[in-house]
Amino acid sequence: MAYIWPIGGGKGGSGKSFLTSSLGRLSAGLGKRTLVIDLDLGAANLHTLVGVPYPKKGFSDFIRKKTLRLEDTVVETPFENLFLISGAHDNFDIANLPYEQKIKTLRAIMKLDYDSVLLDLGAGTSFNTLDFFLISQHGIFITTPEPTSIENVYRLLRSIYFRRIRYCFNVTDFKALEDEVVIRFGSGSVSKPECMIKVIADVYPEKHEQLQDAFSAFRFKLIINQVRKHDNAALGMQMSRMIEKHLGLHIEFAGNVAYDDHVHDAVCQQVSFLERYSYTRTACDLREVSRQIVQSAGKQMVFNYM
Amino acid sequence: MQKGFEQLNYYEMLDIKPDAVPFEIRHAYNAALQVYQPGSLASYSFFSGDERRDILSLIEKAYATLINDQARKDYNEELISRGELNAEKVASPAVKKPVSIFNISHSPAVRIVITNNEALKRKINQSQLIGDILAQNALCGADLKKIRSELGVEIEQIAQETKIRHDHLRSMEEDHIARLPAAVFLKGFVRSYLKCLCLEPVEELSTRYMDTVARFPQK
Repeated sequence: MAYIWPIGGGKGGSGKSFLTSSLGRLSAGLGKRTLVIDLDLGAANLHTLVGVPYPKKGFSDFIRKKTLRLEDTVVETPFENLFLISGAHDNFDIANLPYEQKIKTLRAIMKLDYDSVLLDLGAGTSFNTLDFFLISQHGIFITTPEPTSIENVYRLLRSIYFRRIRYCFNVTDFKALEDEVVIRFGSGSVSKPECMIKVIADVYPEKHEQLQDAFSAFRFKLIINQVRKHDNAALGMQMSRMIEKHLGLHIEFAGNVAYDDHVHDAVCQQVSFLERYSYTRTACDLREVSRQIVQSAGKQMVFNYM
Repeated sequence: MQKGFEQLNYYEMLDIKPDAVPFEIRHAYNAALQVYQPGSLASYSFFSGDERRDILSLIEKAYATLINDQARKDYNEELISRGELNAEKVASPAVKKPVSIFNISHSPAVRIVITNNEALKRKINQSQLIGDILAQNALCGADLKKIRSELGVEIEQIAQETKIRHDHLRSMEEDHIARLPAAVFLKGFVRSYLKCLCLEPVEELSTRYMDTVARFPQK
């Protein structure tokens, strides 16, 4: 089975697609058969970044045609070992993927026969994004060192936390749980997963244990992108330590990636940044981050969608 | 979920070990402030205003307790009585001393404390051989070496003490005229060497050595 890395981050423009394409290229460069999937439904442009401006087929073919397998929508890219499932010709209603289609997609992704699969997820905290993020416990969060981006990444993290709790309950139980949280901790606390988990520990001890196992299995990564010279380089460490302390989620800081205007140039010229500007600080950072992530690849636990 | 922040003990709050020294405590406190201060980027939007105030007041309290020796002792005892802390772990840490980076002599048996001047002087007075050598009119490098080995001092120890390079010390002891440093340096070196071995009178012995070396045939 493929190693799956979902890549997400709350805010648009923080570099999710760019990092996906770069990490994909580096992984392919190591000789691994790598697939990048554009799951930024409705705002897809990963194909442009991996040098396939006009992909022949794409993700919505898989959604539209019942007989087609997900493998059949893969297109080759100019880079050896790097493959793409593009979102270029997605239907205009693709952003609201129905539940059955989502489950079908998740199952198909699990069955893909590649060495590593990178999922480029959209901004925001829609259920689609959360579910795709939770497909593997190796999710990668990307943020820039700006309050707006950090606010959104925390939001995403808490949403994922919630979503994982939600998997364990049916609708009525969850509603009852929410009411219980409000009674115990006041009205503002529904949006605080740390309060909810305390209630679960009291009311459903066996589910609490199950969730504990799930949360301790998460091996999330954090990348700080677009770090300028005067930014605080220790920010990622501080964030990961704080999340561990206050949310109980293990999130490993994978590294800073320096800001570089050349990224803009490379995107505009539609060439590979890593090839054209391979000696810049940013390219070194990307290689270092990719090394970190590949190294830390442990055993992958699969969430069961059956 | 692990313990909530308010249930952590002060050491866990500041992310330090129970045997941390005040320097580490101050450092950890500053690091915590950087994360939890109202303007901090790392915790932006993570906490509500009230939560942040509570956390900051806890950190203040933790710091004020741990940095004060008496308060820390009391707090440790409280933790030990609650069973949260192991009594051995809080034993006051040994004072950290500078570590020698030139610790070349690996045999602890022959290593003597070179700064122990009294012992050296006593040895010099007792030794027949050293008395004989010092009674001579000439003093060459080989004599110095004899004295040194009689006293049981390693050449590395002298190098470490005097900061004179090994090869200089060695060519001095072997009377390697061609490799000796210029006379003006040599005089200083031999003085340090003598001082290091507590040989007296330094002035006279060094002059005697210089005279002896000057009489060696030049190659």
